[in-house]
Amino acid sequence: MSLKRASITAALTVLTLYALLIVSLGWFLDGTILRDTLFSERTLFAAQLSLTAATVATGLAILLAVPAAYGLSRYDFRGKAAAETVLEFPIIVSPAALGAIILIFFNNPLGEWVQNHIMQFVFTFAGIVLAQFVTVLGLSVRMLKAAFDEVPVELETVARTLGATPRHVFFTVTLPQAKNGMIAALILTWAKALGEFGATMMVAGTMAMRTETIPIAIFMRLSSADIEGTVAMILILVFIGLAALYTARRVLERKTYA
Amino acid sequence: MLEIKNLTTKVGDFCLDSINLSVDAGKCHAVLGPSGSGKSTLLNAILGVLPITAGCVWLDGEDMSRRPIEQRNLGYVPQHLGLFPHLSVRDNLLYSVRARKRPRIDWQPLFEKLVEVTGIGDLLERRISTLSGGERQRVALVRALMGKSRLVLLDEPFTALNESLRQELWWLVKELQRERELTVLLITHDLTEAYFLAENITVLINGRQEQNGETVNVYHSPATLAVAGFLGIKNLFSATVVHRSENHIVVDCTVLNHRMRLSGNAPVGAKIRVGILPENVALRDALHPPRQGEILLTGRVQLIQMKASVDIRFENLDRPLVVHISASQRLVKRFMLMDEQVGVTIGLPETALFWIPDY
Repeated sequence: MSLKRASITAALTVLTLYALLIVSLGWFLDGTILRDTLFSERTLFAAQLSLTAATVATGLAILLAVPAAYGLSRYDFRGKAAAETVLEFPIIVSPAALGAIILIFFNNPLGEWVQNHIMQFVFTFAGIVLAQFVTVLGLSVRMLKAAFDEVPVELETVARTLGATPRHVFFTVTLPQAKNGMIAALILTWAKALGEFGATMMVAGTMAMRTETIPIAIFMRLSSADIEGTVAMILILVFIGLAALYTARRVLERKTYA
Repeated sequence: MLEIKNLTTKVGDFCLDSINLSVDAGKCHAVLGPSGSGKSTLLNAILGVLPITAGCVWLDGEDMSRRPIEQRNLGYVPQHLGLFPHLSVRDNLLYSVRARKRPRIDWQPLFEKLVEVTGIGDLLERRISTLSGGERQRVALVRALMGKSRLVLLDEPFTALNESLRQELWWLVKELQRERELTVLLITHDLTEAYFLAENITVLINGRQEQNGETVNVYHSPATLAVAGFLGIKNLFSATVVHRSENHIVVDCTVLNHRMRLSGNAPVGAKIRVGILPENVALRDALHPPRQGEILLTGRVQLIQMKASVDIRFENLDRPLVVHISASQRLVKRFMLMDEQVGVTIGLPETALFWIPDY
């Protein structure tokens, strides 16, 4: 088999594998149960909680990630290599371990002080946001850094010779140039936060109608052998995830300025 | 106007070492050098992108060395022009006046004048991606001038253009320079461009300032072998100093089988290279007899490259050597009538000879 044929076959195998897994959900798909599950109070709560938590976590992550990514993209500083390496941390450490780390933190004196004097995180909405925030932050910085790397430094230098301060350059040259990459990063960060399970379960627990995000709902329904309900929840997540991926791809493919 | 004193800066392992140059107001100074010679490093140090490790940059009597880029008031046209693709031509041109919040009355006349001179009036509402190469160059030039800059830095901005467009833009730069009394620092590796635009040049090689001076002088008297090599001067012959007086040396050039008197000073016994520019070599025959003070060589034509050069191999010397002759219009016509391997006599006027230390 030629290299071309072998590589195309491999690519199509990947597509087939995921498509088969999604299509196989149809075996347990029951229209009535699907409708009842989708519009049940519990599902709507899970969807609302997931969307809210993911949006807040993404917003917080972006607030920190944009300046961090710009710093990593544009400046050399002591500790830069370590900072770049640590971005991989949430990828190499399983989300469950990440959640466990957060949980353990709140059991040390500093964590307990935070819980008692600033905000309760364990088994709360704030805990869900924190778990998602920690999980997606590294990914968010990486994607935003890639977006900033795409903007030629030369444009910023020219803008400064034209009298613009670094802040003015950032808002009038860098941000408009990195816009598409940033929007794509935002969408993917949000989708990743929405699907977060391991860390959320560790920090916020699995309490129905309280800390039950969509991934937690999938786990809880499967634990109680509610296969049809599980399938319905999975389909919600798959639909949102694929829509986010499609949108991100379209944004990235869009020519910035035709 | 612009004065660079002992400027030293480092980028990784590369060091730009103790650069000194000055550019008078209203003049164009070219910094020439091969790739990797440090031209862009020098430019970045002047711009303020790179920190200076020693020395200073003075502009109009002010030390700019520690000032932020935006306070240096420099016009800058980089190699890739750096036009903002998300803005229209008009917004590109007005970027500096908006960044500096200048009142309309302050910039409107200049804007209109520059747009008229460069002929970009019809492009103002267009996106950068819709412009041709030449149009982009004009927009980048006007944008750099809109800042009322004291000094304009051109970093090989014409490299990607075809020959006719480049020459057209050279004329435009000349015109703008004269009209606006611009001071220009041109970074280039193109000798023709430097000769056309600049009154003075600095030759950088491997981070070292090899030569500084008037464009014509640098070309006619390269100071080092490295400069001669960069300028493409091939006619260099080994010689030894056999006598010295106050302002002259007598050298013995065994390759040319000739002893000659040259101006300058070097210790007796010093090894030097005697050189002559290709265009100063004259073809001699019955119609064009040798002149007084010419070194005559006879040899055979080895290679004729029309409109470029003629290489002549001299087999009657102690070793074969090739003399490179630029083909002036007159010479081309005469060589076109010759076959390769034909015997010729050439004259090297002693007054046109220069020498370079080889020690």
